[in-house]
Amino acid sequence: MSVVCPITLDREKLRSEVLSIYAKVADNPQGEFHFHRGLEYAARLLGYDAAELDELPTAATASFAGVGNPFLMDLLPAGATVVDIGSGAGMDCLLAARRIGRSGSVVGIDMTDAMLARARDSAADADYGQIRFEKADMTALPLATESVDVVISNGVINLAPDKAALFTELYRVVKPGGRLQFADIVVGRELSEDARNDIDLWTG
Amino acid sequence: MIEALQQTGFQSVRVCNFFNSFSGTTKEKVARKYGVQGANFMAYKAA
Repeated sequence: MSVVCPITLDREKLRSEVLSIYAKVADNPQGEFHFHRGLEYAARLLGYDAAELDELPTAATASFAGVGNPFLMDLLPAGATVVDIGSGAGMDCLLAARRIGRSGSVVGIDMTDAMLARARDSAADADYGQIRFEKADMTALPLATESVDVVISNGVINLAPDKAALFTELYRVVKPGGRLQFADIVVGRELSEDARNDIDLWTG
Repeated sequence: MIEALQQTGFQSVRVCNFFNSFSGTTKEKVARKYGVQGANFMAYKAA
């Protein structure tokens, strides 16, 4: 079951809250949040390879706040063009870059300045020149039509109040034969109207 | 999520893995109440 945004939800407030929370995660990942962050969480609960994460810049792994593991499903082809929707501190972009090699490219999309700064520093530290980060709304991507082989994402699509607009935009940028492989949250029961209007739950 | 992806035109949409992403967090009780968990999704655009 997906979460459908109720008409009464204040979308601007949701956007503002998301920006505020993820700026705090970027600046102080050790702070108090109602979701997990970091390398140890990614390895223990999500199946990431702890040894591989250890090789990445700490700035990228410390602020990781995904909810699943898009790399468990299928291999990213060498030379592929990969886009990470809501790239955060860049951990998944770095892992994607390792898989596609120097002949491919990774574009990380995020709307949080602090996360983008952290991600760019991490990519430079790791010497991954095939990664670039763009500040953009995920429903208006700065990407050419049918230019992407694989879209990845981790815990961000649920934050889009208009899923149809987001998926239409993803469909536009993906090449014929291309794919989405992303992690997000699922809800097993119908939510009450109060729960669907609770921004604190949306930003979790 | 699956229906929204299919309505957009994506094919072979499926959920592949589940994760107890909120285990040990302050939202664990709410997550358990509503069956909220992490999941991996795959979806393809026709060639």
